[in-house]
This record gives sequence, structure tokens and C-alpha cells, in this order.
Amino acid sequence: MITTVVGNYPKIGPGTKAPNLRTAISRGDRGETTPEQIQGVRAEVTAEVIGDQIQAGIDLVTDGLIRWDDGQTYLARAISGFSFTGLIRYFDTNTYFRQPVVDGLLKWTAPITVADYEFAAANSSKPVKAVLTGPYTLARLSQDQKYHDQKKLVLDLAEVLNQEAKALQKAGASVIQFDEPAILKHKDEFPLFQEAMDRLTKGLKPTLALYTYFDDISGVYPAFLKLPFQIFGLDYVMGKANWDVVTDVPSDVSLGLGVVNARNTKMETEAEIGDAIKRIAPIVPLDRLYINPNCGLEFLPRETAYQKLVRMVEGSKKAAEVAA
Amino acid sequence: MSGLLTTSVGSFPKPPELQAARNKMLRGELGRDELEQMEREATAFWIKSQEELGLDILVDGEMDRGDMVTYFSELLDGFTISGLVRSYGNRYYRKPIAVGPIGRKNPMTLKTWEYAQSLTDKPVKGMLTGPYTIAEWSFNEYYSTFEEFVMEVAKVVHDEAVDLERAGAKYIQIDEPAASTRPEEMELVARSMAVVTKGLTAYTLTHICYGDFEAVIDDLNSIPVDNLDMETANQDYSLLELFRDHKSDKHLTLGVTDVHTHEIESLDQVKAGIRKGLEIFTPEQLFIGPDCGLKTRTADESIAKLKVMVQAVNEIKAELGIA
Repeated sequence: MITTVVGNYPKIGPGTKAPNLRTAISRGDRGETTPEQIQGVRAEVTAEVIGDQIQAGIDLVTDGLIRWDDGQTYLARAISGFSFTGLIRYFDTNTYFRQPVVDGLLKWTAPITVADYEFAAANSSKPVKAVLTGPYTLARLSQDQKYHDQKKLVLDLAEVLNQEAKALQKAGASVIQFDEPAILKHKDEFPLFQEAMDRLTKGLKPTLALYTYFDDISGVYPAFLKLPFQIFGLDYVMGKANWDVVTDVPSDVSLGLGVVNARNTKMETEAEIGDAIKRIAPIVPLDRLYINPNCGLEFLPRETAYQKLVRMVEGSKKAAEVAA
Repeated sequence: MSGLLTTSVGSFPKPPELQAARNKMLRGELGRDELEQMEREATAFWIKSQEELGLDILVDGEMDRGDMVTYFSELLDGFTISGLVRSYGNRYYRKPIAVGPIGRKNPMTLKTWEYAQSLTDKPVKGMLTGPYTIAEWSFNEYYSTFEEFVMEVAKVVHDEAVDLERAGAKYIQIDEPAASTRPEEMELVARSMAVVTKGLTAYTLTHICYGDFEAVIDDLNSIPVDNLDMETANQDYSLLELFRDHKSDKHLTLGVTDVHTHEIESLDQVKAGIRKGLEIFTPEQLFIGPDCGLKTRTADESIAKLKVMVQAVNEIKAELGIA
């Protein structure tokens, strides 16, 4: 059993040692801080949140996506063929992002997240998971003014992200996660999604994870768990139906059990975490189980996110002891 | 014949010195009384400005509110406040957390409304945030379901509306900007609003913005208020087309000026917008306002935008022979 996080981590914390990123960016907007200085602050905050995760007892960490404003624009800004328009709501959250507009053919030109991965790996005593938004979700959350062909757009993005993943592979990333929450809102497009996942994962050697959240996989189960990945992250908080839907997990893959609610401050108890692990045990043996929050932690204040991870780790440890 | 009443959505920009004073008060460097005095002066400025502009239904401008939800949660029982969470880019806010039963100790908005109304003979709108938005923009550690949370908040918002009505408010607006978050919950927005507006004789409005309403237009029409206040200018009035095919008896406040741009709309642009509204609604049914609260604009921009709006309305009223 491995404890992990889904991706992002709150950027601002109370009484942290790293400089305040919010202040640094505001100063940058006023011309008082250089972009290089802001990058330096992002690096310090990244190192700090990696430290937080390790201190909480997380086995497989991320860089907290501290450099990302959101799951879309950080990648889209570096992919040739995107421009940007107004702010739109991210799913049913009270967070917003500047919507990418596809107005040219999409092309990967240079590594986007490789330096971030290398920095995180150099600053972590635990293995680091690289995280990318998947092509279907990125396409769905963008506006298309170029392709007028959803399939071609998604497949081109899959190609772009495959190249990015290959760059991560070359840099030594041993686990790469793709986030695809949007497919659960458009399950009728699953055939296209399957094709995109084949294109996305082609020739990749690292352990590949596919994470979904905000919903359950009813309607695309069991085919979903046969996609070309080794880890499937499912949301058992907002997608409670996953408890009933997922009755069998293929023996060659692992399950990422999203049991901690990263969208509400109410603390889970260790017993609740333990019960969830006990409940999933007949379906997935513990050695093929990842325990994580249901989605990225950035919807929470930093201190709550940390406390939730501590609870999650403690609850998982106790459940493992009982099972052993 | 009357019609095409003009109004504003709710907020106006705060003078920079008021923002600075609020921060000082939070640091304990300024007394609450001194801050309140500055807030009253700023309110008086906006009442006078709206009178000079010739608006029909005024607002107090929300000089004493930091935002739409935290303002209420700080005054209600049952809420505490979280650490910082990010909404987008470099914008952070503290989110209310329901930790116990929500209850109202005292009237929350009455004093400011009474003060604003005392400055003018024009009606001043009572301004409230709706229960769905208060619950949706909070964490919930207490209620077992979101629905229960919303319905409990509805009771305290109702009590506040009753107090405003008793004090003489002729117009009460209950804003639900979060209503478009989950289309399948528009029914809950309507059901909780029914609790808020139950038994009120005041004219009620709700401001809803930011969303795709095509699938929920009938639910939107079923929200029990007299007037739906919608942002329409910033979507080039495409939202109006939905009402063309889904007409109800409701009145509409048509947003004719985009609050997210510095640019001041031209007189012709605004008049064209009003004419589009008149294709679907009668002048009696149609109120004219900005898309949203103007607090993100400067005072000069806000006044300039409203000036064009009032002039456009006056010219169209003259064409139509409306007094």
C-alpha cells in the first residue's frame, strides 16, 4: 500500500519558512520583483510543500504543481497553437481559469515540465510522480477555433502530451500520472477517449497512472480499467457509486483509492480511512492499492490539507497493521 | 405608461482610502467607529451620485462589505472562517466554514440600508446574498447534506428580508451568482428562494450570472422572485434569445454594460441592447442595469458607464413616449 497525493498542493500557508508566493507575484505585477525572483520563490515553495508531504508520511509525492495556475493554462501556454480568452469556472468548483483557445495546429516544441520534475526529484527523499493533464480534458476545457473536429483535436493533443511524457521519461520519471476528470462528464465519448489514451501512452516505459475525479466510472466500467495504464485513480468521495460499480479490478493493475475529501475542510477520522481500506481489500489486495485524496488539495487551506494527509497516512498504517 | 426603470446590481467601487482604512482596522490601527464613519461618507457619495445620474432604484453600494458571502457568515452564528484558498491566478480568499447550526443574532444589513434610505426619496434596494450561494461558497462541516445546509441558510436570509421589508424596503434583491454551478441544482436554488421570499410583499429580484442557462431556463423562470437580473451585455445579448422561446410573466433586469472592461460602451451600443430587450419584454417588464456589481471598476468608470446607460434609457423612453 502506497500513500500519495493527486497533484496540486496549496501554494500559501500560514507561518511558512518559504517566502510568500502571493506577495511575490503581486510585487511582480507592480514591477518590483523580477520574473527570475518569482521563479526562485516558486522553487522555495515547491521544496517546502514536498517537505510537507514527506513529513505527513506520503510515500509518492508531487511537486504540488506550485508553478501551475491551473491544470490547463500551465501546459497550454507552452504548447504551440493555443491563445487565451476569458475566465471560466473549473467544473462545479468556485475556482476559475483563463480558457485556452485552440487557434493553430497543436505542436509540442520543447519540454514543459521536465525542469520542474528534475527540481522536485533533486529536492525529495521520496519518489516523485510527474503529473500532466490528459488530452481529452485539456481539449474539453478549451475552445476550438481551428480544428472543428473534436477527434482530430484530442488526438493531436494526445500526441503533444506523449512527447512531453517521453521527455519526462528521458529525465528519469518513473511514474507519470495523467488527469482526465472530463471524461466522466462526457461518457458517450469513451470510444474517442480510448483511442486518445492509446496514442497518449504509446512507447512510454514509466509506470503510468490515469486519475479521474468529481464523479464515478459507471457506464465506462469495466472498459475503463482496461485502458493502457498501470494505476487507475478513482474518486470514492464525489463518486460514491464507485463502491458499487467497481466490483473487480484486473490483477495486473493498481487502484488509487480517493477517500479523503479534498474539497471540504471536514476532517476524516482514521477509522473512516481504515474502513474504506477494509472495504476495498476484497476487490484489490493492499499491495496493489494507492491511498490518496479524491482530487488535488488546492481547494483547501494549507493547514487543513496537511492535517488531512496526516490522518490519511495514520489511518492507512493502522489498516495495514490490522491486515498484516 | 411607465417602464424601463434603471438600477444597479449592488456594489460600487470603494474609495481607495476606505480600503486602506479597512486594512488598518483589521490590524487594530483604526477604531471601528472611525471606519464606519468613512463607510457612511462613501455611501452618501454613491447615493448622491446615483441621484445625480437619475437612476430610479438606488443601492447603498456595499461600502461595508468585503465580499458577498464572508460578510454574512461573519455576522451569523454557526460559521467560522478558513485559511486562504485560491480562486484563480493570484486571487485568494478566506472561505466560511459551517461548524454549527446557522442562526441570526441580529439584523445584518438593516442599519446600512436605513442610513442609505434616509439620504434619498428614491427607493433603495435591500441587498442580500441568497442561501444557495452562501452555502456553495462555504465549506460544510456541520450539515449532513448540502441541501440541508442551503435550506437552513434560507431561513435566516428570509428573516433578514422580513426585517428589511418592515423597515420600509420596497425592493429586495437576493443574489445567487453561484446558481449556475450545477445545472441539476437549479431546482434547489428555486426551492430555497421560495423560503426566502415567502410572504414578502416587497418587489423581489435575484441577480444570477456566469453560466450556461440553456438547459435550465425553465427552472430559472420558476425561481420565486418578481425580477431576474441577468448579465447580458458581456455575452452580446445571446442570453436574451433563451427568453424569447421561454417567456414567463417575470420581469427582467437587462445588463447593458459589461463590468469587466474599462471601456465605456457607446450610447448606440447600449440603445441597441435595450431595443433587443424590448423585442421580448414590454417596457413595464424590463429594468435596465449594468451586467454585475461595479466594484471592480473605478468610480469614474462606473459613473461614466451609468451615465451612458441612463441617457440611452431616456432617449428610448422619449421615442416610445414613456414618461
